[in-house]
Amino acid sequence: MLSVLAQITWKQWRQHRLRTALTLLGIALGVAVFFGVRTANLTLLSSLTTTIEKLAGKATLQITGGESGFPEAVWETVKDTPGVRVAQPVIEVIGNTAFADQSSLMIVGVDMLGDRELREYEFDETTTEIADPLVALAQPDSILISRTFADKHNLKDGDKLPLFTSQGRKEFTVRGIFKPQGMGEVFDGQIAVMDVFNAQFVFGRGKNIDRIDLMNEPEVDVLALRQKLRERLPAGVEIDRPASRGTGIEKAISAMSIGATIASFIALLVGVFIIFNTFSISVNQRWKEIGVLRALGVERGNVQRMFLGEAVLMGVIGSALGIFLGYFLAIGAERMLSQIATQLFSQVSTQQPPVFRWDFAVTAFVIGVLSSLIGALMPARGASRLNPILALHNIETRQQEDILGKTRLIAGVVLVIVSMGLIGFAPAKVGMNVQFGYAALLLFGMVLLLPKLTQWIARLLRPLMDRFFGSEGVLAVDTMIQSPRRTSATVGALMVGLMFVFATAAYVRSYQTTVSGWMDRIVNCDLFVAASDQARSRTYHFSEELSLRIAALPGIKRIENVRILFPTYADDSIGMVALDFDGWFERVKNVVEQADENEAREKMVAGEGVMVARNFVERYHLTTGDRLKLATPTVPFDMPIVGVIEDYTSEKGAVFLDRKLYKKYWNDSSVDMIEINLHPGTDRATVKTEVQRLVRGEHRAFVYTNQEYKKWIMDLINGFFALSYMQMAVSIIIAALGIVNALMISVAERKRELGVLRAIGGLRSQIRKMILLEAAAIAIVGVLIGAIAGFLNTWFIVRTMAMMVGGWTIPFSFSPVMVLIALPLAIGIALLAAWLPARKAVNTSVVEAIGYE
Amino acid sequence: MIQLENVSREYGDGKVVYALDHVSLLIAKGERVAVMGPSGSGKSTLLNLVCGLDEPTSGEVKIDGTNIASLDDDRRTRLRREKIGMVFQTFNLLSTLTAQENVALPLRLNGSSKKEADSRAAAMLDKVGLGARVTHRPDQMSGGERQRIAIARALIFQPPVLLADEPTGNLDSKTGEEILALMDGLHREFNTTILMVTHNEEAAEHCDRVIRLRDGKIVSSTTAKEHTTKQ
Ligand SMILES: Nc1ncnc2c1ncn2[C@@H]1O[C@H](COP(=O)(O)OP(=O)(O)O)[C@@H](O)[C@H]1O
Ligand SMILES: [Mg+2]
Repeated sequence: MLSVLAQITWKQWRQHRLRTALTLLGIALGVAVFFGVRTANLTLLSSLTTTIEKLAGKATLQITGGESGFPEAVWETVKDTPGVRVAQPVIEVIGNTAFADQSSLMIVGVDMLGDRELREYEFDETTTEIADPLVALAQPDSILISRTFADKHNLKDGDKLPLFTSQGRKEFTVRGIFKPQGMGEVFDGQIAVMDVFNAQFVFGRGKNIDRIDLMNEPEVDVLALRQKLRERLPAGVEIDRPASRGTGIEKAISAMSIGATIASFIALLVGVFIIFNTFSISVNQRWKEIGVLRALGVERGNVQRMFLGEAVLMGVIGSALGIFLGYFLAIGAERMLSQIATQLFSQVSTQQPPVFRWDFAVTAFVIGVLSSLIGALMPARGASRLNPILALHNIETRQQEDILGKTRLIAGVVLVIVSMGLIGFAPAKVGMNVQFGYAALLLFGMVLLLPKLTQWIARLLRPLMDRFFGSEGVLAVDTMIQSPRRTSATVGALMVGLMFVFATAAYVRSYQTTVSGWMDRIVNCDLFVAASDQARSRTYHFSEELSLRIAALPGIKRIENVRILFPTYADDSIGMVALDFDGWFERVKNVVEQADENEAREKMVAGEGVMVARNFVERYHLTTGDRLKLATPTVPFDMPIVGVIEDYTSEKGAVFLDRKLYKKYWNDSSVDMIEINLHPGTDRATVKTEVQRLVRGEHRAFVYTNQEYKKWIMDLINGFFALSYMQMAVSIIIAALGIVNALMISVAERKRELGVLRAIGGLRSQIRKMILLEAAAIAIVGVLIGAIAGFLNTWFIVRTMAMMVGGWTIPFSFSPVMVLIALPLAIGIALLAAWLPARKAVNTSVVEAIGYE
Repeated sequence: MIQLENVSREYGDGKVVYALDHVSLLIAKGERVAVMGPSGSGKSTLLNLVCGLDEPTSGEVKIDGTNIASLDDDRRTRLRREKIGMVFQTFNLLSTLTAQENVALPLRLNGSSKKEADSRAAAMLDKVGLGARVTHRPDQMSGGERQRIAIARALIFQPPVLLADEPTGNLDSKTGEEILALMDGLHREFNTTILMVTHNEEAAEHCDRVIRLRDGKIVSSTTAKEHTTKQ
């Protein structure tokens, strides 16, 4: 029996190719986003790990000391530890060439004598002059570059390579070109090698090194050696196996991709709406066929099974297509992620094709098929309950439209209120999954309310449509009101997509406003000189000497040196800002919380305490009076907290201390940013030009005025939300697909109805106008309901997400401007989507459309 | 009133099938004509040509002396809206609209306000005996009631012509009889010209003339009297 039914299904699909294709695409996109994002994440992680491993060579353990590095003394200790066979110091810098394009280049400083024991260097045939180019590194101007980099800049052995260093612009001589394999592939081949002590000097590391790569004696267990080293080394240095260094990065990246996961569920949800829509319409269109089947003795169960089988098949094909699409999506997403990783977390990756994981594919596949089944469930049940006699008589029957029932309305209202209550009052730390549950409740409640809301808004629209478009307008709205099932499915697809877009946009704006206010109060210097145009790419620094030279320029009242790092604290990467607090307190007033500002000032300037950010207090429950312990590369740091300030440096919280203290404990005098305060009446632009003239050709420095710096920060925030924007784009595309799908099938479904309208005297132009107006009305209702859902969801993001992720209190704000922007867009898409079917509808013969026998 | 001159309607490109084969016919104002014939003989085709939903491959169809083929689609539609009411075997009501909204539909397509259209629709529904059921939807009603709605809709403009394609075909004989009685009554009131396709000899008796079709040709045309005596 089922094989006959399968044949009927196949015929249906062939007959409604476009509808089938759009439905498949609906599932496919959902699955693609779900699969693609996870694959991209994994690929990035794998490429970061590969990078680490390639750079690590044969090392079995790596000792790192955060961004400040650690003193050379650590190296001595490591070398003298029994069981260590090789221990090599390494400096790693992402610098920039002083060529016109200032392209970035990863510079690895190694010890030329011992490094071959760890890393293989295969030099290109072109290197003939010198027997061992590694030995040539002994000359302080020597540099070895990869073939890829050499080709890109047309460099040969003996050519000059200018680089920006902490000592200013310096010229190096290419003394060897190594093959683009192993280490040579890292950072897409933009890599160079120089002597570790030379690198230490020119990149301002003082007496610090960034890393030690070591190999154990074969008879010694790696983990035992690690334990032994742990006991001997200061707490601030980390000892890890190269392969597991990726896990820390994974944490940072998975924070970025929470949103992407949400987006993929949104995509799937829209897919469910599309399936629901397709199937209800398919059932409606096939009622006669169903009647015949029932009359021929097909049981209810089998009718239902036929439709569910169809849904499973749709799910299978759509999901397979989705996984295929997702794989390509992963390529793009991975590129984006790795850019963000470089920019925000200073993590270098090496491009590689997406990693295909069967378990991801299977999960995505199952979720796709399930979504399809869920979407088809109600329509399939409706089909099996159809009265065969009515259907056979070819007269008006329709599915019971019970979706306006009171129970639904009440359930919807209750769900929305409960979810709002939970968001508002439930404790903040019950866990991510539970808290996402609130959003799910909210969404579910909104879905239950959809038909009623649709009806209400449509009623409000009615007089407007009457006024502007006459009877066709009213008819359009009436048709909409009278088929709540069809309308709700379309509106639902729009709502889900837009809700997410509105809420994200509202949050980003709100966040930017907050940060902007904070900068006005606290980050309010006249000029900023930064060592990097990236947020956390802090391997390249200025020296104190440069800031002294800048301070000597005319018009400058005072400078503050700032060093920003992201050390590990309680297994998280927090922010640490070391600056000259005597200057800071001169310009920043009334910002210290939970302490007397004068007392705090005294202690900070004297180096007798630290201040912490508000979200640090929130996160770690330490506040004024408590002591803060930090691991350092030297002796343990243990200081009282003397005040709390508002700060957005890190979502994990930040610690502030005077540079004197930092220099002492971290053994690091480099500078990331020079903040400049001018004498009153001095022109910012003039001084900016002066500073630029001072550094030109010598340092890679970015000079910003206050306004420009603010804009730079805002751009960085945008960069951080780039993923969210991508998700928004996906949501918009899927929502658009939802309307296109729904409107196309809705017009097709009403072929007979439209035929009747024409038979009783409806002009072609009137029918077309009606269809288009209905499409527009659906778009308007969708945007408005999306706005309502988005408004509620913004509250969720602000209350729950911002608190959960950043411990920040972001004020709620929801701008109607977005809704006003979305409105014409949605209407435009709806009109476009309805245009073709409308044309087709008015051009088919009425006799055929009515199809009476 | 209605005039067909040598009208043919062909189907197919290769082997031509005549749905209607050189038919000439003249129907006077107020006349009631029944069209009978076996399935596939061209009855529905004839009706579709008269109301301008279909175009003849040759010959002319004239309503009140106007050749329908000479009108563009909009004019033809307006002509249909105002001068020709149509009733179908399968009712063809819009299932999402109430009885009143269904009947008011042609008025609203003509630009009437909802209020005016609704009140006229209510009056018309009253005339066909459904005054109490204006707010019901078609699927809450019986076949006979649905056909009454359809008739009310067809007559809302008080058109001079009513075309009915097997209006009783989906109804039991008693209900069918009621519908025919209703049409008789409306005919008396408005002097509507009626062209009705039917399989039912009793239905044909309500008409002044009976035309029999076979393979697209008129094989006989008899007045009601002749028709009854022949039996
Ligand atoms: N769209 C069409 N394409 C091809 N043949 C058609 C079409 N419509 C009707 N016909 C043919 O025209 C003839 C007359 O049809 P119709 O007027 O519907 O007959 P009746 O209403 O008397 O049953 C039939 O032979 C039918 O097969
Ligand atoms: Mg027929």
